[in-house]
Amino acid sequence: MRMRPAKQVLLHVAVVAMIVCLAFPVLLLVLTSLKTEADIFTSPGGFPRSVTWENFRFVIAESTFFTHLRNSAIVAFSTVLLAIVVTAPAGYALSRFKFRGRTVFSMWLLATQAFPGIIMVLGLFTVLNVYGLINRLPGLIIMHTSFALPFSIWLLKGYFDKIPVDLEEAACIDGCTRLRALVKVILPLSVTGLLAVATFSLLLSWNEFFFALVIMRTNESWTLPVYLARFLGSGGVVQWGPLSAAALLVTIPVFVLFLLGQRYLVSGLTGGAIK
Amino acid sequence: MKMARSGRTARALIEEKRALPFVAPALAVLCLISLYPLVQGITRVVYSYRALTRKTVYTGMENLILLFRDPVFLRALLNSLVWTVASVAAMFFLSYILATMLNSRYLRFRRFLRTATLIPWALPGVVVSLIWRYIFLSDGPLNAALSGLGVAHPPAWLTDTHLALWTCIIANVWMGIPFVTIMILAGLQSLEGDILEAAAIDGASYMQTQLRIVVPSMKKVMLIVLTLETIWTFNSFDIVYVLTKGGPGSASMTLPLYAYQNAFMYYQAGYGAAIGIIILLILLSVVVLYIREVLR
Repeated sequence: MRMRPAKQVLLHVAVVAMIVCLAFPVLLLVLTSLKTEADIFTSPGGFPRSVTWENFRFVIAESTFFTHLRNSAIVAFSTVLLAIVVTAPAGYALSRFKFRGRTVFSMWLLATQAFPGIIMVLGLFTVLNVYGLINRLPGLIIMHTSFALPFSIWLLKGYFDKIPVDLEEAACIDGCTRLRALVKVILPLSVTGLLAVATFSLLLSWNEFFFALVIMRTNESWTLPVYLARFLGSGGVVQWGPLSAAALLVTIPVFVLFLLGQRYLVSGLTGGAIK
Repeated sequence: MKMARSGRTARALIEEKRALPFVAPALAVLCLISLYPLVQGITRVVYSYRALTRKTVYTGMENLILLFRDPVFLRALLNSLVWTVASVAAMFFLSYILATMLNSRYLRFRRFLRTATLIPWALPGVVVSLIWRYIFLSDGPLNAALSGLGVAHPPAWLTDTHLALWTCIIANVWMGIPFVTIMILAGLQSLEGDILEAAAIDGASYMQTQLRIVVPSMKKVMLIVLTLETIWTFNSFDIVYVLTKGGPGSASMTLPLYAYQNAFMYYQAGYGAAIGIIILLILLSVVVLYIREVLR
């Protein structure tokens, strides 16, 4: 069965039109960041009449951008590391052992997705306060790790399920421990799964706004999303040029890492859900 | 029979001993960072801060009762339902069309086009919100384009009482499309080609094939995506916070934003917790519906 040429052209036009709708707002951000203030005012949607780097210079030289970049980078990379260290054994246990409470544990992971942010943040505020972690990076790292856990455990379990049990039994014929089997046999075979978890938790932590807004209270502890929201301010004139430049600088690192990791993330997510 | 069962229990116990060290770190983090805060957060509802005496006092169920006499809360509850239902419905509708097209054998550059679909997914929520706030400015790019097309009075997207919530919904749908699309696409790819061929040979129409074969065989994927997307959308905070702050008035106020404002701007943590409890009840019933449907 062949498709008629006219229909095939129509298909391509429709797909491209939808993707332009998905990409255009990002292009608009790039254009705005390269425009002068007058240019933004006279042609808000068009191409810049003359390209200016002034907006980027302003953000880099005259705002506290690098402080927040440092905060965001520390929080995101620690979250990725912690998420992998904590979820790999848990995913392994869910995949390999039958234990009481296994079903309850799985259900609980799903239910955590439904917990309202406001309840969690009110409760966590108390916990973090006890340990003096309000307004400090470790507090935010712990929070982001806990958000990354349920999905990551679920992802990794899917990967481990696909690895035959015989393999670790064969490799450990001389009786090595389960932990050794996990580290030496299973993990090297699930690199793509670990990359999926890394991409997922990196995206989650770098982009997370609500909890960072509530617990990071002073300027020097803000992460990038909080900095952007404060840059926008509350009412008054918004400097769209510098704001767009800042938003673009916040997006570029995570966008590049996303492009590198999306293959693993997509196969991880879809693999887990289809089975 | 009895022997068999006790044998299984004995083995299960050994397994438990071996499983515990592996699950313990995750369990510890989840208890400390999700179970304990959940309980702690919920209990905040029985206390209220009195500005007059500057003291937090025990007030029992007062916060929960007050909710239902608060017009802003009732508005936010209605808005949250509209926001969630409209967003999720639009995401599924558009994503289904896009995924079907991306799955077509006759599409060229499929891999490139599929990756391009993911663009909004990589952006931080705050950045997405900033972009859309700019697009929807009363003298922004969208209205400039509308004026160019001859529309005499383009709408004030962000400040019109009837439009503000729908403006936020558009931004939210845009952000949600990539995830829903790749999940539906994965479901479509797992379909056996033979079934569709057989349906075509038997003379089934396009709509019949979609409704009778494609959709039912993707039920499992659809259900989990529907559940997760409903929960995420209901809980979503960034877009409304950046686009309208719930305004004008409370025209686009949603429950998470109203809870935040009460707890962290008006110092009414107890009232914020009360709103949180309502959100929790609504979302847990979504989860229960999902589990019932899966177990059926």
